[in-house]
Amino acid sequence: MAVTRCTKMAYAKADDMVFGRSVTPVKTGLGLEIGVGYTTPEVNYAPRPEAGASKEKLIKEYERITTDIMERMIQIGAPAVVLETEHVEQMSNHPDWGAAVAHAQKTIMENYHDEYGIKCALRHTIGDIREDRNYLKLRGDKYSVLMEAFEECAKAGADILAIESMGGKEVFDHAILRNDMAGILFGIGVLGSMDMEMIWQDITAIAKKTGTVSSGDTDCAQANTAMFIAGGLLDKNLAHTIAIIARSISAARSLVAYEAGAVGPGKDCGYENTIVKAVAGVPIAQEGKTSTCAHSDLMGNLTMQCCDLWSNESVEYHGEFGGTTVQCWSETLAYDCALMNVALDSGNEKILRDMFAASDMYRDAQGYVLAYPNAYRVGQAIAKDGNDIYLRAKNAALESIKIVEEGEKGKLELSRFEANALKDAKAAFEALTDDKDQFVSDCLTKYKNEVAVFLPENYGL
Amino acid sequence: MIDINPSGILVRYNVKMEKKMTPEEAAEELYPKDPTIYPIAKAIFEGEEDDVVEGLEKAIGSGKDPISLINGALMVGMGVVSRLYDEGVIFLPNVMLSADAMQAGIEFCKTKTSKVPESKGKVVCHVAEGDVHDIGKNIVAALLRANGYDVVDLGRDVPVDEVIAAVEKERPLMLTGTALMTTTMYAFKEINDKLLKKGIKIPFACGGGAVNQDFVSQYELGVYGEEASDAVKIADFIKENGNDIAKLRGIFHKH
Repeated sequence: MAVTRCTKMAYAKADDMVFGRSVTPVKTGLGLEIGVGYTTPEVNYAPRPEAGASKEKLIKEYERITTDIMERMIQIGAPAVVLETEHVEQMSNHPDWGAAVAHAQKTIMENYHDEYGIKCALRHTIGDIREDRNYLKLRGDKYSVLMEAFEECAKAGADILAIESMGGKEVFDHAILRNDMAGILFGIGVLGSMDMEMIWQDITAIAKKTGTVSSGDTDCAQANTAMFIAGGLLDKNLAHTIAIIARSISAARSLVAYEAGAVGPGKDCGYENTIVKAVAGVPIAQEGKTSTCAHSDLMGNLTMQCCDLWSNESVEYHGEFGGTTVQCWSETLAYDCALMNVALDSGNEKILRDMFAASDMYRDAQGYVLAYPNAYRVGQAIAKDGNDIYLRAKNAALESIKIVEEGEKGKLELSRFEANALKDAKAAFEALTDDKDQFVSDCLTKYKNEVAVFLPENYGL
Repeated sequence: MIDINPSGILVRYNVKMEKKMTPEEAAEELYPKDPTIYPIAKAIFEGEEDDVVEGLEKAIGSGKDPISLINGALMVGMGVVSRLYDEGVIFLPNVMLSADAMQAGIEFCKTKTSKVPESKGKVVCHVAEGDVHDIGKNIVAALLRANGYDVVDLGRDVPVDEVIAAVEKERPLMLTGTALMTTTMYAFKEINDKLLKKGIKIPFACGGGAVNQDFVSQYELGVYGEEASDAVKIADFIKENGNDIAKLRGIFHKH
């Protein structure tokens, strides 16, 4: 399957982007359309620790989760819902486990759809199991099991196929803890993109064969690691200005899925998705204030600005005062979507979008760059050199730095530490070559030496 | 876009509270005055491995004992780094670069003597069985080493029995476990039970991703660490006050 690089923007201008509408909507599952003019909650969950003890226990746990969500959606009159099952490792390492869970969930969803007409779809996010104790093993036997897991889940009932792929993480993990900009760029922009190009062509082929949706990836393993290490305003582990550079680079990487045939909806924890939507026009899932059950992100409202699915990231299944966690969070998501859908219906969507963005964009540099007018600019920097995976990732980094610098002259406040980190990062990126081959060659020499777990053969290098 | 005044909506506390003194100025006040030790401590703070080794070469050339330089110079420099990190003056990447520089310095000192350097104590670190997310464990291990502990790093996705065997063999002052996933952290309970069955009662410091205080409190040896840097504080507390789990929980269980 061919890879078609994105060299143009899907949207003529940033202001054309809103929540609930995308350039290329997706039809999936039981009567659901995504990006066609309404937003839909996407509920995400994790089984309790003890549920992984056996296949039977795990299936039972997912049956409870699915029933709870569908029941609550009916009880509050929600018109549509997506369920996302992020595999625990047993479900991907043993594709029959994942398939059995998908089948059990879909059977329950079909019953609710048949009885009440609720529109719904099931996303299965296969775990990236391509590693052993010491190394990433991106190619070989583990890869075959991974693809088998996709195919078996698709055949058993999953409508939407996704993954959070890990290519480049071994170099990134080393680099992010040392403020090493070349390593961050190499890990995410080059190695991550190369790996995605391989896997997304194969996932797309499976989706075509099974009549399912090849949806999208997220740079959870890298850009979210940076965001989590950066933490809150008072945390002292990583400058937020560095985290947003990693995020901007990740947009050039996550875009590869769509260049290799994926059609969306992008994965919820891809905070880079507003940039990706601007370039590729695909529908996206996002998370923010509704994912506080999983982590804190400093942009709880802003991420709703252009979402098509609205998610809670992940919550462990257990009881709360208001029901089980999945019932509580699905209900919250559904009310948020109802508000967005009222805005869409009444022609107020751009006002609400701008309120979402404005409420968070000055909270830190991450929200500032991801606010849709600035995210669009990062997208333009990527598309400008869309045919070169290295140069476009470097462009994204430099554009994000420029945006933060401009912001600092206005209403975006930076601490001295953040400003200094930004200055050092800018110097590091400006010193890099424009030649991809030279960069890759330099990085291979450097990281083979510095990162003991880096195996170039994982990337065909 | 609508134009707003952010000051009425949010407060950038990190900007408001930032200390006046630069990290370099703060470090300068803490460096030892000894002209032989000063450049080594400064090179550690700056994370410059080559300068660390150069400083050590000069100090050894002037008659200093290589082993005494580990505690007397490298650890002193790292002490400056740890203190400024705790005070929020410098950030984690600075600490990691300094830790790398200190390790390079220790290795260099070892090549100059047949004596073995003393450590503050031994800690076994691992990532739970089935879990390959190890950046948190790597930070924990680096911070422990930087603070003078001997770390036995078992790596990631470590089978329960391998952890038990390592604890039996190494007899560490504590064990650490990190996990990202809810289903993998269940292995911590198994480790706890097997250690108790063998009569081994050492603090088992757990943290990371989905791990929370409620979960860790469910098994007898568990002590929850919210931040990677808590591992060092827990180890230091054990060194000073013994390994009473209830006392440790009293201090480190904050919620």
